Amino acid sequence: MAFLELHNLNKIFGKTEAVADFNLDIEKGELVSFLGPSGCGKTTTLRMVAGFEVPTTGRIKINGVDITDNPPNQRPVGMVFQAYALFPNMTVAGNIGFGMKIARKPAEQIRNRVDEMLELIHMPGLGDRYPYQLSGGQQQRVALARALALSPALLLLDEPLSALDAKIRVSLRSEIRAIQRKLGITAIYVTHDQEEALSLSDRVVVMNVGRMEQVGKPFEIYNYPKTEFVAQFVGTLNAVKAEVIDAASRTLRIEGQNIQAAAGLDGVRNGDRVMIAIRPERLSFTTEGVKANLLECRIENITFLGSIVRIQVLVGALTFHMDTFNNPFLELPKIGENVQITFSREAVLALSQEKST
Amino acid sequence: MRDTSVFAPWATVRAFFQRLRPEEGRRKSNVWSWFIFILGMIYFFLPLYATFVFSLKMIKDRYTFEAYKVAFQDPNFFSHFGYSVLWAILTIVISLLLIVPTAYWVHWRTPRLRPVVEFITLMPFVVPAVVLTFGLIRAYGSPPIVLIGSPALLIAGYVTLSLPYMFRAVDTGLRSIDVRTLTEAALSLGAGWRVILTQVIFPNLRVAILSGVFLTFAIVMGEFTFASLLAWPAFGPYMEEIGAMRAYTPQALSVVSFLLTWGSIGLLQLVSRGAGQEQIAGAH
Repeated sequence: MAFLELHNLNKIFGKTEAVADFNLDIEKGELVSFLGPSGCGKTTTLRMVAGFEVPTTGRIKINGVDITDNPPNQRPVGMVFQAYALFPNMTVAGNIGFGMKIARKPAEQIRNRVDEMLELIHMPGLGDRYPYQLSGGQQQRVALARALALSPALLLLDEPLSALDAKIRVSLRSEIRAIQRKLGITAIYVTHDQEEALSLSDRVVVMNVGRMEQVGKPFEIYNYPKTEFVAQFVGTLNAVKAEVIDAASRTLRIEGQNIQAAAGLDGVRNGDRVMIAIRPERLSFTTEGVKANLLECRIENITFLGSIVRIQVLVGALTFHMDTFNNPFLELPKIGENVQITFSREAVLALSQEKST
Repeated sequence: MRDTSVFAPWATVRAFFQRLRPEEGRRKSNVWSWFIFILGMIYFFLPLYATFVFSLKMIKDRYTFEAYKVAFQDPNFFSHFGYSVLWAILTIVISLLLIVPTAYWVHWRTPRLRPVVEFITLMPFVVPAVVLTFGLIRAYGSPPIVLIGSPALLIAGYVTLSLPYMFRAVDTGLRSIDVRTLTEAALSLGAGWRVILTQVIFPNLRVAILSGVFLTFAIVMGEFTFASLLAWPAFGPYMEEIGAMRAYTPQALSVVSFLLTWGSIGLLQLVSRGAGQEQIAGAH
């Protein structure tokens, strides 16, 4: 039995199916991210777990106890919101201790717990401040401490870093992960930021138009996307159509040039068209001795992105992007130069098939 | 960015002349501002000043506060004033109990109904107080519900009268805070509705509620139609009664009435200034 069980969750708003057939088991201490574009149903699913939305059908169980019909204030759940949602009329200590005060805990216990939480979020001594006296990052840390103060069984984070600037986002997400690991708390993290989801999570649930597209470890999601949507949504991708030349040897043709794939072409026949994808970082310029998976191309553009350099090449009429790590001694070809690029057979991801008639 | 609008040439010409005579331009604009300001002040304060001066001339050829003394020595003054204060307090309490939860619920659960509720609250502006009073008398003057003779009818009328002011004040306050997220945050921490309203929503609406309270107080203190037609003692009918019999005392009472309203507004400003930083900064 999993710690959190979401069985056949469905949510319909009027005529819109916001969440459909959502099934997921989450183990104790696991951090699972719901990743997807706006309107994919990730927040609605989270809100159903929190109790702010009632599922049209389906059940939610925490530790074997069905909480589907419990109101939000009777669920063992702590939540962190995108907009911080700190109570402006209360100090930091007041905010953190609010839940315990509601639960009628002794004042001494509340004080100790507030101090403990302030230590946890590296803000000792700031208990007397009001939310308006804190930066965005500090406010969100207080919101996290407030959600954790009651030691909930489950922590829900609804795009908690979206309102923060890029640098604080990166440092705070590491902090959230460290705290989650330290406390061993089970958590669901909703985000539309793939980097956030991949870097934080034990598992990622990629969602699209109310449905789960793929559930897996970040490594699997990125390297072995099961659907075209996942491949397109997670990371940058070169997605092109190729014609199957020899199904037995998994040989494909792109713009008159042959390449080979390692897997993912079961059931295809010669003449079928398949959508394949190659990640930009799997492409490289040819070194001597490489004979297979070579593509003749022309350099179209070179963009410096800091740690990486993105090179745009033209293979026939198709544009490919290639990423290479930046280093001061990197020798790059010139724009307009004809070069060869290569990639391993394993780098070819087969996404969908169109049967030949 | 270059201004490419049709006004660009005029703006250039104006800027050129302003550069030539910047002081003169500024002075000219200042003179106009002062002229309009002084005109407004004369329009507002001159009648008030005249009333005040007249109220001081009760004793021939002397400026005294005799009219005020007479007004304050009249036992009816305090009893009617006291009644109005009582009606105002009851109106405020009932308005708050009715409007704050309603406005909160509209913001939290049914934001689409907000324009409808807002329209309803504006009705007292459209329906004259006389019509409203006769409507109340007709509706509650005969069975099944008879409220004639009970102050409940008067208070109900006052609550209706103060609806636009109280609702707008509370509504503005609610719009300055993220009602939905704060409510959800409180719910996720185990709070029930009573706690959410009293510990989360009310404290963050302090300034808004106080402005509604002071406005309602000022309206009820000066109200005449309801109290007069429903035959309840109040400050408004008392002033009218005195006005019919005496010359100087009603002027003195008018000045007192103005001072009362200004006192309320001054208190509101004082309270708002104290809590402003907390609310505005906390709302972002």
